[in-house]
Amino acid sequence: MLKVSSIDELKELFGMVSTNHDQSRPHIVICAGTACQASGANDIIRVAKKYILQNQLLDTISLRITGCHGFCEMGPFILTQPQGAFYHKVTIYNINRIIDAVIADDYVEDLLYRDPKTNIKYNKQEDIPFFKKQQRTIFSKNQEIDPIRIDDYIANDGYKALYKVFSNFSPEKVIEEVKVSGLRGRGGAGFPTGFKWELIANQPSDNGKYVVCNADEGDPGAYMDRSLLEGNPFSIIEGMTIGAYATGANEGVIYVRNEYPLAIKHLIIALRQAREMGLLGENILGSSFSFDIRIVKGAGAFVCGEETALMRSIEGKVGEPRQRPPYPVQKGIRGNPTVINNVETWANISFIINMGATEYAKIGTDGNSGTKIFSLVGKIKNTGLIEVPMGISINEIVFDIGGGSPGDAKIKAVQTGGPSGGCIPVSKFDLLIDYDTLAKAGSIMGSGGMIVMDENTCMVDVARYFMDFLKAESCGKCYTCRKGTQRMYEILDDISRGKGTLEDLDLLEELALVVQDSTMCGLGQTASNPVLSTMQYFRAEYERHIIQKRCDAFVCKELTGAPCQTGCPVGTEAWRYIAHIARGEYEQAYLAIREANPFPSVCARVCNHQCEEHCRVKTSGGEALAIRSLKRFITDRVDPSIYKPERSTEIQKPPVAVIGAGPSGLTTAHYLSLLGYRVTIFDSEEKPGGMLFSTIPSYRLPRETINKEIDSLLNENITLKCNVALGIDVSIDQLFEDGFKAIMISIGAHKSKPLQLENEDADGVYPSIEFLKAYNIQGEQLARGRVGVIGGGNSALDAARTALRQKGVESVTILYRRTREEMPAFAEEIEAADQEGIDIQTLITPLKVITKNGVLSGLECCKNRLGEIDSSGRRKPVPIKDSEYTIELDTLIVAIGEDPGVDAIGPADSSNIDVTKWNTVKTDDNTLLTSRPGVFAAGDVVTGPNTIIDAIAAGKKAAIMIDRYLHGVELDQPVENKLPDVYIEPIEVESEDLSIIDRAETQMISVEKRRKNFNEVESVLSVLAARKEAGRCLRCDLEFTQPEEVDEECLVNEGGAT
Amino acid sequence: MITLKINGLETTVEEGTTILEAAKFLGFPIPTLCHMEGLRSYGACRLCIVEIGEGTKTKIVSSCTYPVEEGLHVRTSSSRVMRARKMIIELLLASSPQSKTIQDIASEFNVKQQRFRQEHEDCILCGLCVRMCEEQMVAKAIGFRGRGENRSIGTPFDKQSEKCRLCGGCMYVCPVCSLRCTYTEPDKAICGGCGNHYVPCIEKEQFDDLMCYMEPCVECEISND
Repeated sequence: MLKVSSIDELKELFGMVSTNHDQSRPHIVICAGTACQASGANDIIRVAKKYILQNQLLDTISLRITGCHGFCEMGPFILTQPQGAFYHKVTIYNINRIIDAVIADDYVEDLLYRDPKTNIKYNKQEDIPFFKKQQRTIFSKNQEIDPIRIDDYIANDGYKALYKVFSNFSPEKVIEEVKVSGLRGRGGAGFPTGFKWELIANQPSDNGKYVVCNADEGDPGAYMDRSLLEGNPFSIIEGMTIGAYATGANEGVIYVRNEYPLAIKHLIIALRQAREMGLLGENILGSSFSFDIRIVKGAGAFVCGEETALMRSIEGKVGEPRQRPPYPVQKGIRGNPTVINNVETWANISFIINMGATEYAKIGTDGNSGTKIFSLVGKIKNTGLIEVPMGISINEIVFDIGGGSPGDAKIKAVQTGGPSGGCIPVSKFDLLIDYDTLAKAGSIMGSGGMIVMDENTCMVDVARYFMDFLKAESCGKCYTCRKGTQRMYEILDDISRGKGTLEDLDLLEELALVVQDSTMCGLGQTASNPVLSTMQYFRAEYERHIIQKRCDAFVCKELTGAPCQTGCPVGTEAWRYIAHIARGEYEQAYLAIREANPFPSVCARVCNHQCEEHCRVKTSGGEALAIRSLKRFITDRVDPSIYKPERSTEIQKPPVAVIGAGPSGLTTAHYLSLLGYRVTIFDSEEKPGGMLFSTIPSYRLPRETINKEIDSLLNENITLKCNVALGIDVSIDQLFEDGFKAIMISIGAHKSKPLQLENEDADGVYPSIEFLKAYNIQGEQLARGRVGVIGGGNSALDAARTALRQKGVESVTILYRRTREEMPAFAEEIEAADQEGIDIQTLITPLKVITKNGVLSGLECCKNRLGEIDSSGRRKPVPIKDSEYTIELDTLIVAIGEDPGVDAIGPADSSNIDVTKWNTVKTDDNTLLTSRPGVFAAGDVVTGPNTIIDAIAAGKKAAIMIDRYLHGVELDQPVENKLPDVYIEPIEVESEDLSIIDRAETQMISVEKRRKNFNEVESVLSVLAARKEAGRCLRCDLEFTQPEEVDEECLVNEGGAT
Repeated sequence: MITLKINGLETTVEEGTTILEAAKFLGFPIPTLCHMEGLRSYGACRLCIVEIGEGTKTKIVSSCTYPVEEGLHVRTSSSRVMRARKMIIELLLASSPQSKTIQDIASEFNVKQQRFRQEHEDCILCGLCVRMCEEQMVAKAIGFRGRGENRSIGTPFDKQSEKCRLCGGCMYVCPVCSLRCTYTEPDKAICGGCGNHYVPCIEKEQFDDLMCYMEPCVECEISND
């Protein structure tokens, strides 16, 4: 290698290198960063080399193997030059096509990157959304440079900064430049680099000074420093050389984790090449300045990233921080002045010098100049390393660059700054990222880790996880840090196990503040951040763990038990009946279902199956078990009369009135009757069933199923009085006068919300509930001709599919204001409607009902587009200007939601029952008691339109509360968490069955056969399919119920020893 | 010479003096556990924390390791200091309730209850023994091992040390270890000798009536009989 011994020779070298580097030749660039190597880049490189050699393409194409480019989610990937095409997830089978295409200056269309959501194809790398919003000033060099060739670096403006410094900058001028640039330390604390340099430059020293590169990157999930060292080690070396020149140091140290073998390897090669070239060592470029760098490998203690601990580690002592002052710039390694900067800070230096400090200061915001590299990981679509200007909002990073959530769970928070950082909730995502705002929000910039969390992340668990990390990684010197982190972990662990108390929460906060205040080093001072920030923004989640014993993310094991059971509002032991199905024990399976749910056959058809949402097969990446179909399999097969509930024979219990015979009212009446209460149910309709009858169409829920199920719930303790309406035939006062000791209101939500548009009362416009009731109860067919349905919920779908089946209907169109993904109706309902030929039009807002002679003739609408993300994490529909148009309609059904008819209860001042501003009855969440003693309320009248299973759950709870009330017992009692407690021996699974991963789908009758009638659409699973499906269950219950295995051999041995 | 203000009182001390020494010189009491004259300051127990600075820009530092600075304002028992100090004492009590030294400090600061899970650890890793062994006995037989929750004190690889002369200096300086307190001959005991092998009185309960130096404890009453 050529040795450069003067500035002029360096200039000559620049010329030589640039002529040698023919950039116009086609290049293929393969990323071989650690992430891409893990996803198979090494094989790609091998195959590519082989193909080039075999086809003698050495003179036509160049292969460049580089460090990380950042888009690690899509690795291994290939970049082609000069086309700039980006091929992701390349395999060894398509590499030859890419090489051929590059030579022919063409693209391989089918391998180009497509956005997974919009399916738009991108020819050029810079147009891809992940790259588009980034400003990759430092990181983009990675793809231009082979990190083990100094020529590559020099050809890409490498050492130009050193040349500039040596030719006309004094050390003072360099410091001035760095100061003007406004660069702040990228390690996390954000101390202005220029000032630090000035401090050390002014320090007298007899034994020399040190510059140190801190590459002890230990945050879980952060790897930007590693990627810089791996991909562009020369930029760090050049930066440190300039830093040493400016500060008068003569020795440099790169302190790098031993866990970064590739980074160390590339650094060793780079240092050797720089030395051979004379860019390190004695009298650099013929000047009097001598400087060399050595590598010190850290043994992996997190605390060694703290500067005073790092210095001790370099000295060969135990990494343990000490009191500052004296600061490292005064007394550092072996007592000599030392300047310590992070990898990214050093990488910025040559860039600042090349660009000019004033230009650099224009990037980012005032006081926070430049760009910052973040590692974007967690529950995010585009995992990888990103470089953005300071002052960008979290929204832009997470949603525009990161692509939002990878699944259907909503994003909840982002954790920045590693273990000692904090969590920022989605409501604060408009924060502009810089050192100061993050600190104000209770987090820190840290070295730039960014972990995205969605609804399946439990914040208590997050705090617990980080505290577990910190209690192991604290150096242990300060009592507050060592013991404080242990105690904080202890309390968090208690809370996550459901053993916490509200006093614990106060103690936790008190302790966290003291640890923050009274610990010596940065680790301890920030160790409380995970606790404090999660408590600040997610205190309700903590309280829910403590009071309700619920972990809503289904993470904390001891609160979750079997997720299917915990996810079910009535606590059905789904795991239990699934286990019985697998064993062929169908009757036992039925009993397990019926014990928890009085409406098994109804729920087997129309439940929204929250159990499946939380099924661990689904949350771990597969398809959820078809739990509802399995329930249907059992309820269709087993005679319900095998379940004989025990009824109390006590007869002295007081009478109770239940108003409304819907699912919740019937449930309450049923359970109270079993306890021996005499219950009278009043209902305004002809027969009981409420919503089950009046709105759910019979093609989903056959009438005889409802009838049978209701009949099985009634007994001699229950008197049913139909055609009695609250507010007309009876009143609350009167019922009390009649001798009822407790009253339960469960009148549902039967009033459709109006659109509040002009002409809404025209003929041919119906509220959905009115429309459905007319057909389901009176058999009246109101729809005709062209039918429009406004809304996207289940009620809209029911109305649309019912209309389709009515006589004289030509077509049915659903109009919804957001997109199909945001429709609240069940996905299977939407799909079925689609199959039946219902036209679903999205992003449409109705503006005006058009009439002819008082009769509906059409609807004026406008189109929407998706706008900014609102606080719910969804994009708001925004009307597009001048997009109004009219559709012709003969029938319009309005299904935009329902309200309870609370006016039946009477005005609040006379009934003494408070109503909320949403027109629902106000109850205590824990006791269901209304503002009037003895009056309870449950179901849709309290919650607004809700699911059947939630209504049943509320009915069950109301029965317990009314019983407690009539016994004079305290209503609000601590919640007990129910974990699986019955052991059912798992069946042996054949090894070939293990390969079954597809969910069992129930058959629907064909569209032709169902389109024009009300026969039940869904059929039941076959025995074989049901048992196979049950065999897919992961049996989360066994973790709690499996008897401990007794090792007999062990027993014998122990016996022998004693 | 450096001039600083401690609790509003101006004083002038030699450069290199710590805040702790300066405060003691003025007669302001600051509790310590890991500090001992004649040994290097270490700053581990955090009991000696004080608040430095003025206005909104104050911070908490350990006075035993912080050198005095010109014009420094120090407060040795501000509310912020007291809040942290009491929590530290609570943590100490929760982990090592048997220590007479810790009991005394708790009593002095009116900390009567601890709210954590009770532990009985016989070491708070203050490092007095390590420094005693190294600096005064010049033996360097023991040192710290591990980090975080696994940090402990001992000889290398737990082998009996050839450097150790069994001088007992480590035990003499220990503020916690039970070797001192379980002394079976009360008149030779360093702590005044209640003779308790375990202190049964200060678990989760309030213990202001049970401290042996305030009221006769059970053991003492037996020995008086």
